[in-house]
Amino acid sequence: MKNKLMHLSNETMNIGFVKKVEALSGSSVRRCFQCGKCSAGCPMSTFMEHPPNRVVRLLQLGQGQRILAGRSIWYCASCETCTTRCPNKVDLAAIMDALRKLSWDADGPSKESYVQLANRLFIENIRTYGRQYELRLGAAFNMKSGQFLKDLMLGPKLISKGKLKMFHSKNKNIAEIEGIFKRIEEMRKKGEAL
Amino acid sequence: MTPGKKRLSYSYYPGCSLHASGREYDISTRALFKALNVGLKEVPDWFCCGATPAHNVDELLSLSLCAKNLSLAEEVEGDLAVACAACFSRLKTTQHHLKEDDTKRKQVEVAIDGPAALNKPVKHILEILAREFGLAKLEESVKKPLMGLKVAPYYGCLLTRPPEVPELDDCEDPSIMEDVLRALGAEPVKWSHRMECCGANFTLSRPGVVLKLSNAILESARIAGADCIMVACPLCHGNLDIRQKEIKEAYGAPDSTLFGNIFGSELHGGSAPDQRDLPIFYVTQLAALAMGVASESLGFESVITDPKPLLRDKQLL
Repeated sequence: MKNKLMHLSNETMNIGFVKKVEALSGSSVRRCFQCGKCSAGCPMSTFMEHPPNRVVRLLQLGQGQRILAGRSIWYCASCETCTTRCPNKVDLAAIMDALRKLSWDADGPSKESYVQLANRLFIENIRTYGRQYELRLGAAFNMKSGQFLKDLMLGPKLISKGKLKMFHSKNKNIAEIEGIFKRIEEMRKKGEAL
Repeated sequence: MTPGKKRLSYSYYPGCSLHASGREYDISTRALFKALNVGLKEVPDWFCCGATPAHNVDELLSLSLCAKNLSLAEEVEGDLAVACAACFSRLKTTQHHLKEDDTKRKQVEVAIDGPAALNKPVKHILEILAREFGLAKLEESVKKPLMGLKVAPYYGCLLTRPPEVPELDDCEDPSIMEDVLRALGAEPVKWSHRMECCGANFTLSRPGVVLKLSNAILESARIAGADCIMVACPLCHGNLDIRQKEIKEAYGAPDSTLFGNIFGSELHGGSAPDQRDLPIFYVTQLAALAMGVASESLGFESVITDPKPLLRDKQLL
């Protein structure tokens, strides 16, 4: 995409996608007048190929796929500085959530897989245990990302300090969590929820 | 609390970290509330709030998990006390969104198979100390003032942002941590990074991000002359405390590059760069210490960057 001219036409602009983002986030992208305050305060903008203000600009131009193809949305820390400072009340943090959800649901292309893997394991942990089992979260991340040596020395230290528990028991009301996951899936199947 | 008024008492949602990597936050919260004679009763069988990963990819799941926890909290009397900044933010956000958005509330009610209970006030520990227990009474209750301790109060992201949601303090210029510190007899320093992000949950997926952002926070605190940093979030604590040695190795080691050899001493005013260890305290650890709670009951043994030399130096141990 680098240095490639952007041609705006009915073929390259996906306005339907933008409407989905607006519906999910409850925030209009059209209110943005590109002051750049969001990107100025963003602690993560140096890690992004499209800083927050440009994400909104791309949405205004119907270029959602350009955003999803990159890593910017996965490098947002959800610190909410952008939303807090926007003079036009564009809820950028919610827009980032919406973009991630659309990318996640479509299992779309993204350069950033580690953050997605961490999110997936975190949510799986909730469904399986009810509460986070941090040792399993770290171990599963290393196994599945192929980084077997990541933070290897940290684990035993944290265990000896009592910060990581070797064993973790499930919530006794764990069936209620499974019910929540199932009912959300059903609502989505029936088209009753996004 | 006026004489004759009922004893303060809260229901309590500790959250996952406080039962594991942030255990000292839980231990010190309980010790502090006991010392202040404030009731604290844990919500039975609470679930994970979903934290950042859930709302990152599935807002409905995040809202439903929090709504479920809010309805579990209804079983225990008293406003809901929350220590973890992330849990606090998610629970407050859920109340805020579901009160404003009927469609989402109805979807959540289907998901949790029951009505959404949105009216129990959710309060952060800082709020309870500064407003409900009260700064004046807090100051009166101090047995061992934290004299001479220079503390960098670190708010992080989620305690005050976004506007109108956490209702804890001003979203850009808060003072609640400074107020609490002064009541405890400590000296809050003025510094640049009190509301910058530490890298949060990138600690699992992209630790390099944490090293960079947290290094800037530690540096800023050192420049301001702080002896230590005070936090109210187990994730901030983990990043600043557990990874502090790694951060020093990545950013703070004596610069042996050509650039460092030539300009190193210039940059640091001719002296060696400031490499002090900065102990990271939870607000409840400092408060409990000031209330005269024995240091053995504050979980200091679980901390990686040892706070004891500093506390001994300030004659607080």
